[in-house]
Amino acid sequence: MVQLLPRLRRFAAGLTGSIADGDDLVQDTVERALKNLHQWEPGTRLDSWMFRIAKNRFLDVRRGRKRSGVVSGEIPEDAPAIRSDGARGAEAHMMLRGAAQALDGLPPEQREALLLVTVEGLSYRDAADILEIPIGTLTSRIARAREALALWAPEG
Amino acid sequence: MDPTRETLSAFIDGELPPKEMERIAALLATRPDLDAWVRQQETLRAGMKSALSDLAAAPPPERLVRIAQTTPISWRWRLGRAGQGAILRTWIPAGATLALGLLIGIGLVPPGDIGSRGGQVVAQGALASALNGKLASDNGAGSGPRIGVSFRDHDGRYCRSFDADGQSGFACHGSRGWDIAMLAARPNAEASGPYRMAGSEMPDAIRAAIAARIQGEPFDIKAEKAARDRGWQ
Repeated sequence: MVQLLPRLRRFAAGLTGSIADGDDLVQDTVERALKNLHQWEPGTRLDSWMFRIAKNRFLDVRRGRKRSGVVSGEIPEDAPAIRSDGARGAEAHMMLRGAAQALDGLPPEQREALLLVTVEGLSYRDAADILEIPIGTLTSRIARAREALALWAPEG
Repeated sequence: MDPTRETLSAFIDGELPPKEMERIAALLATRPDLDAWVRQQETLRAGMKSALSDLAAAPPPERLVRIAQTTPISWRWRLGRAGQGAILRTWIPAGATLALGLLIGIGLVPPGDIGSRGGQVVAQGALASALNGKLASDNGAGSGPRIGVSFRDHDGRYCRSFDADGQSGFACHGSRGWDIAMLAARPNAEASGPYRMAGSEMPDAIRAAIAARIQGEPFDIKAEKAARDRGWQ
């Protein structure tokens, strides 16, 4: 499980948009994984299982914050989802801050799909399994995420 | 007809069938607008990956490593299976004091292996010898009690699981020798010989009790041997 930490941190930072929040999410994920290890079937991929826990915890926390009013507004999944402060230079993407900002403008469902495929390098099949969605839905979410990012970023 | 954004996106990720990949690649050579979109996406992907990979390359914070190291996954998984398997016929919980008369009364005690000392049920005879000197790797094909896992409990005491004559249990080393912390009948004891490997057939109740008591990880061969050579002190 220790070997998975770097990848989990990367995924969590991308999801939350911050290293600190990401590490909190990783801690939560690892604790839950240890508590629920009987649900993991040996022979299946441990990394996929951990990513799924992280994704679910991220959405749980987000829903909780939304209910308590911490998050002011959820972006509809099918919206272009561009932040008003998004017009930054392409070079910003070379830094975590820039990458996180670009991702932060996406609805969480698009963000997690894009991260698993583009950053973690998973196949559509593996990513769809983790997110528990059909491949067609995954393909569509990634395409919409890319359309949003294309509007956000200058021509490359 | 122009490819959809989904098709272009799947092209970037190499998720199209080979023929379709070739078709899109050929099309991009003639369509600068589509090609620019694909290039932009590739730049974005490289930027994101590069930025986040810097984070992945950094050593994780100590607190995360500590949590993840708490227990090796294979062991914790095995313990986590407790409660899902066969129902025990009989088990005696780890109480402050186990009543020897009760154990004898329900036929759990191999003659001579367990006795009472100072009000506590303790290992004696062949079982005490095995707990004192036998390593799990010594179990082999020979007869006699078998040793399972060795570990430290939350009080810092050395504990070892064992399997003897149809019963499984674990004992922790104290001033009186090996206190029997828990003893349970193995569900399929009749089907096996008088002694069998502890661990693989460990009753769920024993697993659960060890999971609750273990501090850190079960010993590997080296740690087990070192603890034995120190007399479990």
